Amino acid sequence: MLAYGFAQRALAGGVIIALLCSLISFFVVVRRLAFVGMGVSHAAFGGVAAGLAAGIDPMLAAGGFCTAIALGIGWFSRKGRIHEDTAIGILFAAAMALGVVLVRMAGAYNLDLMGYLFGSILALSWTDVVVIAAVAVSAAAFIILFFKELLFIAFDEETATASGLAVRFVYYGLLVTMALTIVVSIKLAGIILVSALLVIPGASGLQLSRNYRGVLLAALVIGVVSVVLGLYLSYAFDVASGAAMVLVLFAFFLASMVLSPRRSYMRRLRGKAG
Amino acid sequence: MRECRVSEFFSAPSIGPRKVIDLDGIWLSLDGHTVLEDITFSLAEGTFLGVIGPNGAGKTSLIRVILGLLRPTRGTVRVMGLSPGELRHELHHIGYMPQQVLFDPLFPVSVYDVVMMGRTCCIGPLRFARRSDREAVMESIAAVGLGGSERRPIGELSGGQQKRAFLARALCLETRILLLDEPTAGLDYDAQENFMSLLAELKRDKGLSVIFVSHDVAVLARFADEIVCINRAMHMHGKPGEVLGSDRLREAYRCEVDFLAGISGHEGGGG
Repeated sequence: MLAYGFAQRALAGGVIIALLCSLISFFVVVRRLAFVGMGVSHAAFGGVAAGLAAGIDPMLAAGGFCTAIALGIGWFSRKGRIHEDTAIGILFAAAMALGVVLVRMAGAYNLDLMGYLFGSILALSWTDVVVIAAVAVSAAAFIILFFKELLFIAFDEETATASGLAVRFVYYGLLVTMALTIVVSIKLAGIILVSALLVIPGASGLQLSRNYRGVLLAALVIGVVSVVLGLYLSYAFDVASGAAMVLVLFAFFLASMVLSPRRSYMRRLRGKAG
Repeated sequence: MRECRVSEFFSAPSIGPRKVIDLDGIWLSLDGHTVLEDITFSLAEGTFLGVIGPNGAGKTSLIRVILGLLRPTRGTVRVMGLSPGELRHELHHIGYMPQQVLFDPLFPVSVYDVVMMGRTCCIGPLRFARRSDREAVMESIAAVGLGGSERRPIGELSGGQQKRAFLARALCLETRILLLDEPTAGLDYDAQENFMSLLAELKRDKGLSVIFVSHDVAVLARFADEIVCINRAMHMHGKPGEVLGSDRLREAYRCEVDFLAGISGHEGGGG
């Protein structure tokens, strides 16, 4: 399989995406941003369509679009005038609807819509891989450099604010990082399914370890193994790569729940409360 | 250079005790409602000041004004001689414990990790913890009597131990002032006694100035050097004996409250 150029590109891009998504998924899970991820990824459809309609690169358009949507969601939820989930429910439906209209107007019927929606193992060019790597390096740099701030804010935002941290900068930084990660992951994972990559590795890791170091390690391993295995299954059974990856991830999540040392702990916690 | 402003404040010669916190005619409105009305008091260095008042009296807002998180509509705030704008860079001298840390009990961090969070602003942005930070964290954990529990997940500790961990977090900065917002709410009698004696000891050893917001008049009567009673406006400021025996306290609460008689109450809730 690896004799094929497309497979090499998918594997290279896939591993980088897996590492990046798994790293971010930790914060998505502990900060409860899973629904934000859903909203931003679905909004990418509007961005892709806008790019096609305007004749600019669809991914570039989606990048701008998703960043704007992510910042919009963040702004809504911080202002507190509208609940975060309400804001997402409104923005992502509007963006998808816009996408449908724009695809129609652009006359882009030949577009491989299934590929965009569910991911395709054939989709990556070497340029895509380079873009993925560039986004991954900057996103990882942000997360590593601001890790202690991100952790503090995720745990206890009030005290973090009171100790003078740049809470707003870090929060919006995380949202932008998330948006860009989603956009570069779309070709392989698909608009509909990419948000699972931002949730399941972290959620599985959280089942397996009680400390963030262990959670991160487990998330990274599960993410990479799932993506590689998913790509192989996508090739072997000719199914959309995003779907194959998500199913493997889901299997890992179920396994981590069964193996979780947390289950006995949760029982104890409940016992204490009752 | 940054630390100079604060060290200067503490090393400058002064007649009488320094005013580490000085509030002058503070008015605060939030969403069009007056929350604080003409609050004036100061905290002398090394003093344990209790702030009491009924629910919704503006106690938490007062703490937030001192921290510079809320800007008063009128009046001036000086903390260690600094305006709120200048204080933003010196917040690592203030240890803060919010009313309730609403954290997820499954959040994957240990006691050590939580206390290390307190060092975040000392370490500074784009930097990683050094050996001195790790030592400060361990020292702080030992000081609150949690030595040996460093690696335990925070969610596994009892309520009293968690409060101690958060106190350790507030202490592992270059702490000069402690702002505690109902730190003993929700603790049983023993845990509360332990916490209070630990606090008194730490305050004495480290020469800290403390503002302690509470409902629990009985506790403050025993531990506070001075008490301020607020209910939007300031009602009293004085020694515990003067404030607690006064009719004006009842006036501030606008009702007869049994625990004012000095019975140990365990009131939780907002301020």
